Amino acid sequence: MKESVKRNLTAWLFLAPYLVFFIAFLAFPIFRGFGLSFFRVSLGRPGTFVGFDNYVRVLTDTQFWLSLSNTLLFVVVSTPLITAVGFTMAMFVNSKLKGTAIIRSVYFAPYVLSMAVVTGLWIFIFQPYLGLLSVLTGVEMFWLSTRWLAWIAIIITTTWWTVGFNMILCLAGLQDIPEEVYEAARIDGASRTQLLFQITLPMMRPVLTMVFMLQAIQSFKLFGQTWLMTGGGPGNHTRTIVQYIYQIGFIERNMGVSSTMSFLFFLVVLLFTFGQSKLLSFTRN
Amino acid sequence: MDTTQRKNISVFRVLLYLIAITVALLWLFPIVWMIFSSLKPFGTPVAFLDRVFSPPFTLDNYFLLPQRAPIWRWTFNSVLVAGVVTAGVLVMSSLAGYALSKIKFKGSKILFVVIAAGLMVPIEAIVIPLFLTIIDLNLLNTHVSLIVPSFAAPLGVLIMKQYYDSIPNELVEAAAIDGSSYFRTWFSVCLPLSRSALAAVGIITFTNSWNNFLWPFLAAQNSRMFTLPVGLPVFQDLHVEEFTMPMTASVFASIPALLVFIFFQKQIVRGIAMSGIKG
Repeated sequence: MKESVKRNLTAWLFLAPYLVFFIAFLAFPIFRGFGLSFFRVSLGRPGTFVGFDNYVRVLTDTQFWLSLSNTLLFVVVSTPLITAVGFTMAMFVNSKLKGTAIIRSVYFAPYVLSMAVVTGLWIFIFQPYLGLLSVLTGVEMFWLSTRWLAWIAIIITTTWWTVGFNMILCLAGLQDIPEEVYEAARIDGASRTQLLFQITLPMMRPVLTMVFMLQAIQSFKLFGQTWLMTGGGPGNHTRTIVQYIYQIGFIERNMGVSSTMSFLFFLVVLLFTFGQSKLLSFTRN
Repeated sequence: MDTTQRKNISVFRVLLYLIAITVALLWLFPIVWMIFSSLKPFGTPVAFLDRVFSPPFTLDNYFLLPQRAPIWRWTFNSVLVAGVVTAGVLVMSSLAGYALSKIKFKGSKILFVVIAAGLMVPIEAIVIPLFLTIIDLNLLNTHVSLIVPSFAAPLGVLIMKQYYDSIPNELVEAAAIDGSSYFRTWFSVCLPLSRSALAAVGIITFTNSWNNFLWPFLAAQNSRMFTLPVGLPVFQDLHVEEFTMPMTASVFASIPALLVFIFFQKQIVRGIAMSGIKG
């Protein structure tokens, strides 16, 4: 056998096991989902082609827009917040103080807990009457059943749970900044604020951009925290797009409409990430 | 001048310390509260902190738990799924990453871009077709259905490819001149060198799978097939008035992940930093 043929064959053999799963459970479902969005499908029955009917139905559905705007609200608030808190924590941990290794572990620890554990724990904190906050403050607040308080509770829970991940990414970036840069600046008499704004932040720009993007994508996918803590309530005001996709697809069993929403959701996330990277590179120039 | 500056530094440092430690205590508190609550006798109102942190303490809840929920069955499912997912991802992503990095073949660049683009796809956006595919394959309510979608995740392949890129090509070429096949070179030269990357991929995959919620929530429709993250909320819903029992279940479900975290913290941190560079 010719050497190049053999080499090509070997490469594809190495890749084959992974590619089988990649194609079957990632690539194919994307196309299938797009196809489904043009059909009326419910479980166990073959679908009927309905053209753009599903798109019309979704785009004229006020509940779709409400859940989309709920999701966007969460993205807009939580993304800068969790990025900034993660960066600040990384700055703490990166300062050469004693005990920072332990502090780093503590900040990161909630990240390894599972969604169900985290939400269960914070429900007990936010619950009225017997909840920890109610008992500690003596003030009866219906955190999980009042619109804005529910959002605050969800944002606090999410920050506590996931910020450690962003901290680690920021920390890796901070440690890549050569110490000599700071020393040179200090010799020139730069103040602490100048160091932060003239050196740290500019040099951290690529890392912070990446953390911001990853966090935004993560925030778009919000589902478990709201589903388990508020069920989407009060009055669907914390229902996210992923929850709506789930309810239409799996509870109402309307998989065509649900696929249409999934596809639109995918487009929004894609547009958002591209728009963001364009915007960020634009401000740099 | 010199002394005022030094004084400034120390005041600043103390302040920094205080903030950092206060935040750390706030961060740690819910976990400590959860653990202590699980050790209190059934029915203790754990929101009263003076009662949570003072005796009596007991392990009774941990013995009661298996009688109230099939917690061992859920644990078995979680261990099986996370174990098989981790082993499979390690083998397949190191094979695929090696081919993408060290074997020159037609289409390798395009294939790499396609796999990397897979990172952009939120699984939330494809659960419906994924679910229908699992039904078509007659796999609903099986362990296989909980496992196979995780094999498609591109992150491991990308981390491994990136790591193999850092291994000099000369090493692979030298082995080839000695008559070693691609497979043997991968297995006996490159695989042992990539232990740290494998550890990172393995640990991230394991904790992700252990904590995975959405897919098992959809695919496991029979309570015997629940994993811990799916079973726990069901259990908690039945115990909204009484806190110690659900807290015990939460601690129980967190033990493996917390142990992995305590023992492999370095690898986890490195793994996240590696995945971030690519992401």
